[in-house]
Amino acid sequence: MRYFALLSLALFCLAWHVCPATAQEQAPADAEAAQKLSLKQGLMCERVENLTPVGPGLVFSVSSGQVCCYTSFDPVPQHTVIYHRWFHRDELSTQTRLRLYPTKWSTYSVIQLRETDKGPWRVEIIDQNGRIFDVLRFSIAD
Amino acid sequence: MSRFLAFISSIRWQDIVDILINSYILLRVYVLFQGTNAFRVLVGITSLWLAQEIAASLGLILTSWAIRGITAAAAIIIIVVFRNEIRSALQVRNIKTFLWGFPSREQQTPIDVIADSVFQMAEKRIGALIVFPGNQDLGEAIHGGIPWNGRVSNEMLMSVFWPNSPVHDGAAIIEGGQITEVGVLLPLSHRQDLPSDYGTRHRAAVGLAEVADALVIVVSEERGSVNVAKDHSLTPMQDSQMLSRALKKHLKMPDISPARQRERERIKLAAAACISFLIMAGIWFGFTRSQYTIIALNVPIEYVNRPPNYDILDTSVDEARLQLLGSSALIKSLGPGQVGVRVDLSKAVEGRNTFTITQDDIILPPGISLNKIHPTTIDVTLDIPATRELTIQVDWIGRLPENTALTNVSVLPETVKVVGGSKTLEKVNTVYTSPVRLDTLSKSGSFTVPIVLSPPSLKLAPSCPERVTVHYRLEERNPSGKK
Repeated sequence: MRYFALLSLALFCLAWHVCPATAQEQAPADAEAAQKLSLKQGLMCERVENLTPVGPGLVFSVSSGQVCCYTSFDPVPQHTVIYHRWFHRDELSTQTRLRLYPTKWSTYSVIQLRETDKGPWRVEIIDQNGRIFDVLRFSIAD
Repeated sequence: MSRFLAFISSIRWQDIVDILINSYILLRVYVLFQGTNAFRVLVGITSLWLAQEIAASLGLILTSWAIRGITAAAAIIIIVVFRNEIRSALQVRNIKTFLWGFPSREQQTPIDVIADSVFQMAEKRIGALIVFPGNQDLGEAIHGGIPWNGRVSNEMLMSVFWPNSPVHDGAAIIEGGQITEVGVLLPLSHRQDLPSDYGTRHRAAVGLAEVADALVIVVSEERGSVNVAKDHSLTPMQDSQMLSRALKKHLKMPDISPARQRERERIKLAAAACISFLIMAGIWFGFTRSQYTIIALNVPIEYVNRPPNYDILDTSVDEARLQLLGSSALIKSLGPGQVGVRVDLSKAVEGRNTFTITQDDIILPPGISLNKIHPTTIDVTLDIPATRELTIQVDWIGRLPENTALTNVSVLPETVKVVGGSKTLEKVNTVYTSPVRLDTLSKSGSFTVPIVLSPPSLKLAPSCPERVTVHYRLEERNPSGKK
């Protein structure tokens, strides 16, 4: 019981010294990590198989049924989230939240195509602070 | 009785003023042009116009067209043929005479004084040449002349034609009660049948009478005779009474006392004024009180007093539908520009403004009233002009050739500067080209295509091209599809 009391005191002192420093340094560290986060590859494709883009292109047929936005990040300093924002003729159509994990990570979002989706599109790849990594432009045609 | 009272009560004070002003204008036309040939032709043209209106109302299409053509031609002819008469009628000494002067107030020609003086001059063998103009302007027939503007009297005439007077050789022109010009040179007649003892003075008198409707008195210096030249003839005058009668006939002066004559003129003018009033009242009521008609018009909306810093970005409507009420004659005569809707933007702010259209915003000609308007409110969006650089994207349509993929597209220039409202530009991130068909593409190549700006309120910055060059590459699709 005596040893347990001493151990608790020691842990409390350690926490007293360490915790404030961690709280103060957390925000700059996140910002720095976000700066280091880098988009290695971003492209539009028909589908993704085994985390590999299949049928890349700039124009997709509506008959293919779907279109994917594939992104690969390297490095990923820490666990974070990014967004794929899909715009059809400058109107936001959908937004997908995707998680990234260290040290490198590939991920994708997909939309199902309808006849009304024909026309020019763009996908903005942004982080949670709104920083744009890239804008991918493509079209849905017949 | 009640209908009559309702009709009387519907007359506005503006209507009365309207009728009175136009009646006075008509009366002035009569006063200025009465007795002239132009006035008679004017009456004829008015009759033609009335006949044309009647023919049109009866459905006589060809007749109404023919009369309309004749009226138009006659209107031009009257101006050309009677230009001198019109000029004489309108050439008054001052604006007051033009607007207010009446013939009865103008000085009358003292016929008896002139006749006595002429025979006195004849008795004394003093040669004289006196011209009394008719309706025609003498400007082109006579030459020389010195402005005199002296009141006619026995002494004045004697002094003008006294042999030692420097102007005694020329003719004197008498208009009203005044000698307006002296020393005037008249055109000489070339007639061969005139007596050989007639000298230059007689030939001048006949010469002017030949070319104009003036009356010329000629007093022979040698024989002491008095002759009157009028309408190609030279008539000897036996005494002053005979001369007075000739002058009165020429000047259209009735052989009655001046007081009686003034009285008669006053009655004539009063009758003319009444007729003018009745004509104008008839025309006015015919126009404004004929069968009431409702008409619907689409009128463009005019936005005025826009704050200088703002541009009109958007409006909910560009034109309003007005339902107007008025007499059929007025409704038929409505022309473009007479009806308008004007919205005052002076109090508008940035963003969307809603204005209710009131009676004050609508411009209507007199006699036409608004029955209904649609819409009753208008939304106007104002914005501050701004410029933004936007990426250009190709708008592909159609179908790609079989087993091909579009792998590379580049647009030159990549961006373009667009001018428009700042709020609009905030929502626009991309500028698209006009649609480009995919099925016409070959392996790789380039083409130019115009830019399409949407919304249309956006404009390209002055230095930016309206077309862009697109380079593309098509590739065979990998059977596995993998990159």
